[in-house]
Amino acid sequence: MSISEDIKTRLSDALIDGDADLAEETTVEALQAGADPVALINDVMIPALTVVGDQFQAGEVFLPELMLAGDAAQRVSKHVEAAIVAQGKTTESKGTVVIGTVMGDIHDIGKNIVVTMLKAHGFKVVDLGRNVTPSTFLTAGQENAANVIAMSSLMTTTRPMIENTINLLGEVGARDQFKVIVGGGCVTEEWASTLGADGYSPDAVGAVELCKKFSARPS
Amino acid sequence: MRSNWLSEIVKRAQSGPYMKEGDFDLKLTRRIKELVREKGIKYDATNLCPTDDDMADRVWDAGLQLFVEMGAYCQSTERCIKFTRDEVLEILGLEPGAVTLGTGKDAVVMRHRGVEDPQRAIMHSGPTGLPSTEKYHPLILLSCAQEPLVDCLGAGSVSTYFGEQILPGTPLEIFGARRDASVAREAVRMAGRPGMHINDVAVPLTCAGKMAACDPQAGLRPSDAFLVSQMVELKTDFDQLSRVAYLKNVDMVTVDLMTPLIGGVGGAAPGTAIVSVADHLLGAVLYDADYHMFSLTHLHYVNNTDPLGLWVESMVGQALARNSKMVALNDIYVVSGPGTKELLYECAAGAVVTTVCGFNMQGAGTTGGFFPDRVTGLEARFIAEVSRASLNLKRADAAQLVQEILPRYQATITNPNRGRPFNEVYNTETVQPTTEWLDMYYEVKEDLRRIGLKLA
Repeated sequence: MSISEDIKTRLSDALIDGDADLAEETTVEALQAGADPVALINDVMIPALTVVGDQFQAGEVFLPELMLAGDAAQRVSKHVEAAIVAQGKTTESKGTVVIGTVMGDIHDIGKNIVVTMLKAHGFKVVDLGRNVTPSTFLTAGQENAANVIAMSSLMTTTRPMIENTINLLGEVGARDQFKVIVGGGCVTEEWASTLGADGYSPDAVGAVELCKKFSARPS
Repeated sequence: MRSNWLSEIVKRAQSGPYMKEGDFDLKLTRRIKELVREKGIKYDATNLCPTDDDMADRVWDAGLQLFVEMGAYCQSTERCIKFTRDEVLEILGLEPGAVTLGTGKDAVVMRHRGVEDPQRAIMHSGPTGLPSTEKYHPLILLSCAQEPLVDCLGAGSVSTYFGEQILPGTPLEIFGARRDASVAREAVRMAGRPGMHINDVAVPLTCAGKMAACDPQAGLRPSDAFLVSQMVELKTDFDQLSRVAYLKNVDMVTVDLMTPLIGGVGGAAPGTAIVSVADHLLGAVLYDADYHMFSLTHLHYVNNTDPLGLWVESMVGQALARNSKMVALNDIYVVSGPGTKELLYECAAGAVVTTVCGFNMQGAGTTGGFFPDRVTGLEARFIAEVSRASLNLKRADAAQLVQEILPRYQATITNPNRGRPFNEVYNTETVQPTTEWLDMYYEVKEDLRRIGLKLA
């Protein structure tokens, strides 16, 4: 069953406002009224979170709005995914991204923003946190059959660990298993290309676009 | 700091409430939003240096309330280290309000400054937060240390050791730390100021690396300092607390480094001001800091000279000045680079506001910290001069001046002029600014005089 305009508007507004309680309540109401859970994801959640992401990128809203919208989306997802399973269907991930801040680097705000945006766009995200060793990236990538390994470094002193990780993937013959994207304060496009990274983005929106591109199934 | 107090902190870090870090962030951001509303903290883009004492006190109250409610998050144990309001106030009551930095004739006393305080701000400079190359690092440090108005030097960081990348936690980190410490020591000696306080060696990212920079002859001494970092926002770990243990036991100066983000967990300017006060309290209570380095930057642009940043600095400075005896140091961070007038105007705006609002000075963190070798002593001289010229200003005067200065650089914040590296704006033989860079400096000074700043 299609979703009523009223529900669409209320759920979208609740997500954009980061009102997790209202978003959850509206989702339950929509599902009880017979709304298609997949349509809730594609027609409401992703567009609403894209709005917040774009506003964040434009400096119109800040990190709290992004965090709260992400939290509201997680609360909504719990109900939507349960409804999909109950219908005997499976949730379809846009792709799997293993992400972390490289070894030695304890800064993770930028990486966390990317995580929020990727989840909002329907990716399965394996967040390894900060101070992640090259072998941890490799293992997590293989265990999760990741499409993309995403690495971030804020400082010039930790930036070489990106190169070390890419080198390790090559040494063990796993480089072709993943697309590697990089970012962070000290990382430039020029430097990324000299390492043989598959993609570079200076911001979260660009990182999502790269993951979409690298996770797309052949049509 | 009493050793048993640090033991108590470690104990609380292991027994405090358990919380996933993401949940801590969410709880923190929600509570900050509520406090902004409850305390009625309002940003006004037309007045970046407010004279509202009551609002400054409300920012302080909100920061104190936030710190007591949330505590400090220990990333090592995923637990919150909590303190009662009485404990926090008792510790604040013990703040001496001043610290002696350096030795002998080069020693200076950096004090807690009040709002519109006539006593001068102490000036720190150096490539703090900015990468330098091995080739130009010694000259950059000398260019700062030789400036007569600069009181203290930050050694900054070089990311290579004889061309090899320094990786944290490796032997090269130890070599790099010792090399950078000796280069800084040599810079202050060559400047004829051997007792000048050195406020950090930034290349090591581990406690062991910091400790390796200490050397009574060729490295850092007890009269020098290391930065003990907070992770944004209100977070610490055992590696940082171990630095405190070391610093206190060898009687070195402890600096609380906080790097709150405008647009980060605190959100817009009011929330960022509140969490910044809470960050200062973390540094006082957990680190027993001798002074506090406030390194505020915008989440997108990595500066603090935009209107939001200037307002936050103004409110945080006033809140601390009116309600504590903390010795506060503001780190002026700009998007522009050397060899540009925009850099000087950004520095001027930051120095005017923060001098009047109770801070000591550090700067400049140029190019948002992204471009190597883009620091010179000339902008440090300029900041110190502007700060001195601001000593007799009232807040309303400062607010008016900043509104005049802002249009001279504001449009470039989103499209910055990163300037040129040290070797293109300084003569590397004489370690003096080029005529072109000096001319810009004189032109900007003259322009600031025209709009009312009484520069010498």
